[in-house]
Amino acid sequence: MLIQVLLSGIALGSIYGLVALGFAVIFKATDVFNFAQGMLVAFGAYFAVTTINLLGLPFPLAIIAIIAASAALGVIIHAVLIQPLSGRPMLAIIMLTIALSIVMRAVIEIFFGLQGRTLTTPIPTGIFMVGEIRISQLHLVAACVSWVCMAAFFAFFRFTPIGLLMRATADGYEAALVSGINVKVMNRLAWGIGASLAAVGGLFLGQLQIVSTELEHIGLLALPAVVIGGMQSIPGAIVGGLLVGLIEQLAATYISPKSTDIVVYGLLLMILMIRPWGLFGQRELGRV
Amino acid sequence: MTQTPLNPPRAAARWARYVRRLVAVSVLVYLPFLLTERQIFGYALSNMQLLNIGLSQVNLMLITMLGALSLNYLTGSAGLISIGHAAFYAVGAMTAAMTGSQWGWPFPVVLVAAAISGAAAGLLAGLPSLRVRGIYFVLSTFALHYIVVFVFMEYQYKFFDVVGVPYKAAELGNWALNTPVRWYFFLLPLTVAIYWLLRNSLRTREGRAMQAMRDHELAATANGIDVRILRLKAFAFSSSIAAVGGALYAYYLTNVTSEFFGIHFAIQFIAMIIIGGMGSLPGAVVGAAVWLLLPSIINGLAAQAGDTTGLLRSILVDHKPQLVQAIFGSLVIVLLIFAPWGITGIVNRLRARLAAWKSGS
Amino acid sequence: MTTALDIRDLSVRYASKGLALDGVSLSIPKSGVVALLGANGAGKTTLIRAISGLLSLHGGQIVRGSIEMDGQSVIGVPAHTLVRRGLGQVPEGRLVFKQLSVEENLKVGAAVLPRATERERIDAVYALFPRLLERRTQAAGWLSGGEQQMLALGRALVTQPRLLLVDELSLGLAPLIVSAIYRQLDLVGKTLGAAILVVEQNARLALDFADTAYVLERGRVTLSGPVAEVANSAVVQEAYLGSRKREDEA
Repeated sequence: MLIQVLLSGIALGSIYGLVALGFAVIFKATDVFNFAQGMLVAFGAYFAVTTINLLGLPFPLAIIAIIAASAALGVIIHAVLIQPLSGRPMLAIIMLTIALSIVMRAVIEIFFGLQGRTLTTPIPTGIFMVGEIRISQLHLVAACVSWVCMAAFFAFFRFTPIGLLMRATADGYEAALVSGINVKVMNRLAWGIGASLAAVGGLFLGQLQIVSTELEHIGLLALPAVVIGGMQSIPGAIVGGLLVGLIEQLAATYISPKSTDIVVYGLLLMILMIRPWGLFGQRELGRV
Repeated sequence: MTQTPLNPPRAAARWARYVRRLVAVSVLVYLPFLLTERQIFGYALSNMQLLNIGLSQVNLMLITMLGALSLNYLTGSAGLISIGHAAFYAVGAMTAAMTGSQWGWPFPVVLVAAAISGAAAGLLAGLPSLRVRGIYFVLSTFALHYIVVFVFMEYQYKFFDVVGVPYKAAELGNWALNTPVRWYFFLLPLTVAIYWLLRNSLRTREGRAMQAMRDHELAATANGIDVRILRLKAFAFSSSIAAVGGALYAYYLTNVTSEFFGIHFAIQFIAMIIIGGMGSLPGAVVGAAVWLLLPSIINGLAAQAGDTTGLLRSILVDHKPQLVQAIFGSLVIVLLIFAPWGITGIVNRLRARLAAWKSGS
Repeated sequence: MTTALDIRDLSVRYASKGLALDGVSLSIPKSGVVALLGANGAGKTTLIRAISGLLSLHGGQIVRGSIEMDGQSVIGVPAHTLVRRGLGQVPEGRLVFKQLSVEENLKVGAAVLPRATERERIDAVYALFPRLLERRTQAAGWLSGGEQQMLALGRALVTQPRLLLVDELSLGLAPLIVSAIYRQLDLVGKTLGAAILVVEQNARLALDFADTAYVLERGRVTLSGPVAEVANSAVVQEAYLGSRKREDEA
């Protein structure tokens, strides 16, 4: 039923939007197209399996641990890998993030093996009915939490002093330096936020699917989401995520489950040819 | 005006070059026998001494080298980065399946067909470069990769089955390529010929113009050369070679599935050219060689470490492919940070320093 | 310590272009105003970048020499730390935060201050430039050139810097607006007791404003001294002020 498909599309799209938001924060702040965002999602899922299922931590504590660990990972990645390459051509940095994702994948597979694992959390996984429509509780919780996170980030970005400094840094790097902003700290913060948003996405995706390195593939859907929405636009990333989620579900239901890749990436290609700056982005002067 | 005595040093240099070439050719010709019989002039060699390499790995390296060469040709000449280069391997494999397995064309003709379809695919893939550059173009190659692999998957399921696409035995006329040694003596001259072809293409007026204008679009247009057309040509050329590589890959393995051409395979090529040195043909050779050597060395080390237990054992024995990937990826990262010009760049710099040291201070 | 800024024998090189500054020495007394003149490419902006720590951002490197602010070396010190030490900069091209409002721009400038003083400092800037108060909620990108210059200056002044670097204030602005801004700058300078280094292609303006002047030519200081002296020198008259001497000489 169409409503059904739309609802799961919105639920998944909210999660994708969250991951895409993390991606956009990193991009706006440090100009890095983070191909490792997909692996950061997978890492989040594996952090979850470790803290919740393997270590048996109480759920709230586990959540804090997951967010802290992934934020730390993001900060470390920036400090060790991204900062030394600042000023280099964008393509070199992209390849660095790709290589990073290779290493991350190998490390996970060494420590956790190739088999997928199931993630069980206290989040309810039942279904409740509204009339004829089946609503998955997990989908509902995932969507709500994602929206809360996105709203929290938005509030932070717009209304807090540090958020102001981050916006300023994204607006003009040299201007920020001149105004006394500690740009290094801003960049680390951006990467910490970007990584933890991805981890939260991983927590939910890991429960909806199986926790395995294949989650990287799903996490990478943030890329078309961000491009479709507009790379430099925070709201654009969220809308892009929603769109990708909806399109994915519609394609899976009405065309075939295997067609989702080609539909989403085909759309990406079309946008690149017609309107590369995305739906909400602004056309840059000169060559794109 | 003093006349420098040109003849003695020049003649000596020429002789040195001939000798070097003779040695290289002899080594290359003797190599397959060395690797299959595992002995040299009667002395048996252990696995580790041969770096644990077998002839079939060398063959696979040659096939992969075609991909690395074509990718480095693309980046070196047109300045375009294609993340989805493995897609052209898929195109070649699919063409080979259609013409070879389904229509029964002979092997050499299949290769030609793969080259043509690769060129066509490359032309299409290069079209976005007329409209967008930089990160957006890279993303378009990323998207195209997914699309091509999907098409291959649909083709595989429609005409064959989940197990994979089978390929007939490769043969050149009556001479069947049914042993690694025969494959080697087919692949080696082919790779050398393609290397030579690519190198000469870079040296033509067009090739040089393209490289010089690679980063300076405005200068190019001002000079009246349509760099965009040249770029498309480079893309088509590069993709046709990769497609040939894909066809060879398929025939060599005799059976492939769409998973063989996933984004991870594509990323291997990027890693190879970064390690070897981006934009240079020797860099592609080095990169492919490293890609070949690494798993073999790891395997060798694992065999030696047979008695260790715990994490080390887990890493070395049970997760060899992962360790290889981890080292591969870390190598790329380290090189990007400290030596973005790759191994060939490092060697060149050392050579330059050595020359300066010898002649100058 | 009588000097706010003391530069000795400074040489700066850009990656592949050779020396942009060659043995430059310059000093600014506390509360002094120094004008730095020179044609395009003479090295004026390079000098500013060397002082404020932005050199490496543009691919430059200090090869030799020392720069001291209030007796402390600033070489190798990150830009944001210098702002905390009392350095203010109005960069070439203004570099306002285009997507932030006027008020937000000023708030960013005030971020290094303790929270309590932020409001009064920002209000002081509004008192200085009432136009900014009118436009306080507008995005800085929509302001006119003159208003953006006021904003850039205001953003630097919010911290009440002890040393203020002003790079090409007049570029692209109408003369009336430029004089108005310079008048305010003069007022502020005297009130704060700040040392000011003014880089200007418009020599007349700078010479009217400053006490001391330096002339930079191809990375070297070719002339320096009290403003009256420098202004009357033949070189400056001819090159920068449009000499009338030739006509006078009968």
